[in-house]
Amino acid sequence: MSGLRALLGLGLLVAGSRLQRITTQISACRSGPTWWGPQRLNSGVRWNSEVMASTAVKYLSQEEAQAVDQELFNEYQFSVDQLMELAGLSCATAIAKAYPPTSMSRSPPTVLVICGPGNNGGDGLVCARHLKLFGYQPTIYYPKRPNKPLFTALVTQCQKMDIPFLGEMPSEPMVIDELYELVVDAIFGFSFKGDVREPFHSILRVLKGLTVPIASIDIPSGAGTQKVGWEWV
Amino acid sequence: MSSAAGPDPSEAPEERRFLSTAEAAALERELLEDYRFGRQQLVELCGHASAVAVTKAFPLPALSRKQRTVLVVCGPEQNGAVGLVCARHLRVFEYEPTIFYPTRSLDLLHRDLTTQCEKMDIPFLSYLPTEVQLINEAYGLVVDAVMGPGVEPREVGGPCTRALATLKLLSIPLVSLDIPSGWDAETGSDSEDGLRPDVLVSLAAPKRCAGRFSGRHHFVAGRFVPDDVLRKFALRLPGYTGTDCVAAL
Repeated sequence: MSGLRALLGLGLLVAGSRLQRITTQISACRSGPTWWGPQRLNSGVRWNSEVMASTAVKYLSQEEAQAVDQELFNEYQFSVDQLMELAGLSCATAIAKAYPPTSMSRSPPTVLVICGPGNNGGDGLVCARHLKLFGYQPTIYYPKRPNKPLFTALVTQCQKMDIPFLGEMPSEPMVIDELYELVVDAIFGFSFKGDVREPFHSILRVLKGLTVPIASIDIPSGAGTQKVGWEWV
Repeated sequence: MSSAAGPDPSEAPEERRFLSTAEAAALERELLEDYRFGRQQLVELCGHASAVAVTKAFPLPALSRKQRTVLVVCGPEQNGAVGLVCARHLRVFEYEPTIFYPTRSLDLLHRDLTTQCEKMDIPFLSYLPTEVQLINEAYGLVVDAVMGPGVEPREVGGPCTRALATLKLLSIPLVSLDIPSGWDAETGSDSEDGLRPDVLVSLAAPKRCAGRFSGRHHFVAGRFVPDDVLRKFALRLPGYTGTDCVAAL
């Protein structure tokens, strides 16, 4: 699986494979004081070491990614909006390359985008909007929404584009498998630390049972967190 | 297929391929006010797509080292901001942009976009030679991001006006963003005396004056207009394929 460079040129796309499920990760960095903690992304994530060697892609540690973010915000004066738009667009592009509409059963292909409570969720909102423009039919589940203009605006953009927001998450993996051909995990980024609180603990449990492919933005949500109890979603 | 130039009140709705200046402003207002897009978002998407359009018209592998050098001339308004974003993405795409941005806007968006370019080591010229041969020799192509639709020539300042006069004599390729700077956005008048770009990159949708464009490539760039808005303005654009943000007209 080849590495892909995000459109921004600064994020690094990491791709690995596991059985028939292809999980595509797109590293996109943002900062903010609440984002970073001491949690290191540990090797609870199972990487194919041969893939790592052949792609010659550098994998950022959490500290390195934090430093990149700080530099982008403080020195380069990028805004969160800017980088989030580029990140979401490049995620949608990567997903569309990995799962082109012509390779999917439905026309338009149905995609469930699950957005978490922070910036990773924001990436998911941008991604969903671009997937719609690319000819997919996204649906969003966004249970915990920050009350900030950035996020409310992104929600409005999606709503105005007739992207439905689910009132509740299907509780059975089979239901999701039947309705959607692809799931985008935009729940947690790698600033995440500590306990996985509800409703996300239950959501991750459901995602673990899926047979349809999952594309994770930034990291597979919950990876490296002992409490979750599995290696990656 | 209609390719009428200039206003045509009897144009059937489904054949509309151009926006008037007023309609372009109304479309932007709808995106900003109803859809709650941020200006920075749209400028970033337009600038990125403009850079992609440049790569399609002038693919990097086919260019010599000198041909990869791009002069981006930025005016003080939104068109100039798009130019700053375009320059940054060209840099990421491994072209070698240089910026001439003589009349600087004070607004935060322009200032931050300028900082981003400076920090990426994109040089800013302090003056532009009036001798066009110097530009022809130094650069492989020029991007005109001086004036968008609705901007009066007197608003851009002396240095930009002088730059445009020099660019009219250019022999290397010229890429204009949205409209050729100095053209009347409605009628395309001054298209005879004004800039004659080789490539026109229409942002979101072509403006009326694009009917008078007679250069090599015409692209529409900036894939963010929702279907409902296209319908509302009765716009019919060429289809974007796959994940492309640029479509050839």
